[in-house]
Amino acid sequence: MALTQRALLEVNNLQVSFDIQGGRVEAVKDASFSVYPGKVLALVGESGSGKSVIAQSILRILPRNGSIDGGSILFNDPSDENEPIDIAKLDDRDPLLYELRGGRISMVFQEPMTALSPLHTIGNQVEEALTLHHKKSASEARSDTEEILKLVGFPNPEQGYEMYSFELSGGLRQRAVIAMALICNPAMVIADEPTTALDVTVQAQILGLMKELQKKFNTAILLITHDLGVVANMADDVVVIYHGKIMESGPIDVIYNRPQHPYLKALMAAVPHFDMKPGERLVSLRDMGKDNSAIHNLAHKFRASAADEKMDGPHLKVENLHKEFMIRKGTWFGSQNDRKVVAVDDVSFEIKKGECLGLVGESGSGKTTVSKLIMRALSATSGSVSLNGSGGMVDVLALQGDELMAFRRKVQMIFQDPFSSLNPRMTVQNILREPLAIHDVGNNADQQKDIVDLMSLVGLDPRFLNRYPHSFSGGQRQRIGIARALALHPDIMICDEPVSALDVSVQAQVLNLLNDLRTELGLTSLFISHNLAVVNYVADRIAVMCQGKLVELASREQLFENPSHPYTKTLLASVPYPDLDRLLDFEKVTFASSMETDNWGLAFRPSDAGKLVRMRVDEGHFVLANENCDVRELSA
Amino acid sequence: MLSYLVKRAFYMVPTLVLTSILVFVLIELPPGDYLESYVAELLAAGETVDPKEIEFLRVEYGFDRPVWERYFKWASGMLVGDFGYSFEYQLPVRDVIGDRLFFTILVTFFTIIFTWIVAFPIGIYSATHQYSWGDYGLTFFGLLGLATPNFLLALIMMYLANRWFGTSIGGLVDPDYIDQPLSLGKIMSVLEHLWIPVIVIGTSGTAAMIRRVRANLLDELRKPYVTTARAKGIPEFRGLMKYPFRMSLNFFIADIGGMLPQIISGAEIVAIVMSLETTGPLLIQALQSQDMYLAGSFLMMLGFLTVIGVLISDIALAVLDPRIRLQGGVSR
Repeated sequence: MALTQRALLEVNNLQVSFDIQGGRVEAVKDASFSVYPGKVLALVGESGSGKSVIAQSILRILPRNGSIDGGSILFNDPSDENEPIDIAKLDDRDPLLYELRGGRISMVFQEPMTALSPLHTIGNQVEEALTLHHKKSASEARSDTEEILKLVGFPNPEQGYEMYSFELSGGLRQRAVIAMALICNPAMVIADEPTTALDVTVQAQILGLMKELQKKFNTAILLITHDLGVVANMADDVVVIYHGKIMESGPIDVIYNRPQHPYLKALMAAVPHFDMKPGERLVSLRDMGKDNSAIHNLAHKFRASAADEKMDGPHLKVENLHKEFMIRKGTWFGSQNDRKVVAVDDVSFEIKKGECLGLVGESGSGKTTVSKLIMRALSATSGSVSLNGSGGMVDVLALQGDELMAFRRKVQMIFQDPFSSLNPRMTVQNILREPLAIHDVGNNADQQKDIVDLMSLVGLDPRFLNRYPHSFSGGQRQRIGIARALALHPDIMICDEPVSALDVSVQAQVLNLLNDLRTELGLTSLFISHNLAVVNYVADRIAVMCQGKLVELASREQLFENPSHPYTKTLLASVPYPDLDRLLDFEKVTFASSMETDNWGLAFRPSDAGKLVRMRVDEGHFVLANENCDVRELSA
Repeated sequence: MLSYLVKRAFYMVPTLVLTSILVFVLIELPPGDYLESYVAELLAAGETVDPKEIEFLRVEYGFDRPVWERYFKWASGMLVGDFGYSFEYQLPVRDVIGDRLFFTILVTFFTIIFTWIVAFPIGIYSATHQYSWGDYGLTFFGLLGLATPNFLLALIMMYLANRWFGTSIGGLVDPDYIDQPLSLGKIMSVLEHLWIPVIVIGTSGTAAMIRRVRANLLDELRKPYVTTARAKGIPEFRGLMKYPFRMSLNFFIADIGGMLPQIISGAEIVAIVMSLETTGPLLIQALQSQDMYLAGSFLMMLGFLTVIGVLISDIALAVLDPRIRLQGGVSR
């Protein structure tokens, strides 16, 4: 039927280019696709593919240096019988354009924090979208606004109306943005990466909400995303875009089950998924070269420094770690309003030599705080961290002076954001040399040789050493970050969300590199991530954190096959798979917030009779549960 | 909010006490006192000095008292509006400053208004039309104003005003009106003279202001919430005013704290060149001649205005920016 139906939005041979220093860049080349009323069209591509540019062209909100050079964007408003409007041909100041924006076509943005003004209340901003397009009295507008806030899931709309964006959680902010987009009941909503910045359980809730509202209002959605899992769960039709060109388009089942274009096939193979066989590698879109002699040189050095009087037993041991933060509220005076926040609450785990422990949790769960405590970047409130070395377990938290300095060599970190974690004013050469210089390792010539080896190890040409970080892509920068962390031959690598800022294709490349380094150099690592599929690909054992507590610890197989804790279950149920046979059960995730401990089974809540302790479910599988609970209940 | 205001105002007290001690120490620091330089001056002029008379003056002015006692006398006097005695003018400090303060506030007030009226529209235009001819042209004129030495501009403007409009050279009123009671004619005369110092002092500030408005607004224009507003269909100018412009005002409000002290100390050089009866030249002179209570009171007034200015900016920021009003700090 879709063929006989009039398309809501028809993009024909669209060409968009940007004026930049030194010439023009064609961002969109000859793109054509159609959006049908009440359907969801997913526009899939990596960053820089031009997908957001298409969205901005449709609303004519391109940055000032961008211009539409050709093609048409025909909008058929289903609410009238008029001829279609060619948005691409409208004048910048055409009143019709202002009517369309927000009134008939609206937009949901990626970053709910920055998409809302912090100076205006949520109600003010949502209501503005309504009053710009419809004449309403103040009280009518207010009640309409509260109604839509209620619809998108604000628990208390009257109060929500008066709140500011920074007072809300990420999920509620995105709900407010959705309310703003839907308040005029538009014919089409453009959702530009609407859930990319959100936690996985919140993402599932927001996707569920969008799907529900889309059905209710029969709104068409143009969903722009790089996440094939989100696409599988939301879209009716898919358009794949690469470097401004449309590669492939069609109904979702055709695209997912019989992908034709090599790019799409490669994209599918680059996403880590849960059905991977042990040892199966991701296929990176752009493979990087590898230098075996460099690996040999460095592996030798790693073994030499690892031989440092080690005993048997765990490599790193964390016991009953606590960390509390004080939050000052309201005034600059006194402590009467101080509030204690427990960021890390009784966390214990061990990492064996050569093992990779995955630490999973949502933002605010305390996983990064744990890593900082191990690094001695923050001081623990109580508990202990010990590292195997120098003839015994060394108490890390008690180290001082020279010993602390020596310890810093043994623990190195790979950061999340490859853009801000490299100093833009230092060349790669200096970035890699800095750790060696600080710890006074070898003479100049040795250092230089190490630096060249490190570059080849991470697959970068040593000739690039004199360049600055800005001349590298995100994936290359992340590899520089990895090389920097490896420079001191650490005993333990802490990887804090190392791939969450990267595109899918680059992500595969970096994950493969990390896996190779682990096998070839015998690295021990703590891998922090919110992405369960990524953790599944790299980790041997997985620890799940929720609200500062470590709620479950198990081997990878145990955790995915037999999750015990309700939070782990929700987490697993919230991951969108790029697989049409395993769609999200929105009923299950929507509104039943996993963070509400009240929704957890009795066995997982503290009671008067017993506190929460670590209970054994199976060999090497532990869960945080009530000490009086029935063990059989745990594996149910 | 009210308790915040009270506490915030209370905070000012220790700051002001510390300032007064610092100021007093500073004016006591140079060797000797006003009487010694006065005696030296008389002797140099070949006149005889009666030691008894000097001794009398010394007791009269309290120079024989210990330092801390003099400090308390001065500091407690200020609380009731007695700023001490100016030796140079043989008058209470309050009377010396009195008239001049009025003219100073007048000049500064109009200068600030002039700066805003010129800088804001140009800054907004420059930011929204970045790298256009208009942006470059207006920026060029702004920088020209900044680069021209004020005293030179003052001389040129006075010359032109005299040639074209017959305005008398220097001062803020026509010589005929000096020491005359306030009348319509005097007000007209003041206004006739006022625009020259306002433009001269204003041009230098305007350029800096344009650049700051432009830079702050440019930062805000790139933020996603601006796109959100545009996607809602808000007309461009209204959207500009409601979102990025309002956001960019924070720097400007924080600036008020620095603006108040300028009211009495600003633009001394221009004031001297144009012989304006403002407080700037008075301060310089008082410092030169060790007229300690006059200088001290001036410095104290600067300190007081700074503290008040910061208070006003803090309150205005809290009123205008909910992030400051509602978010507390986090300790580590």
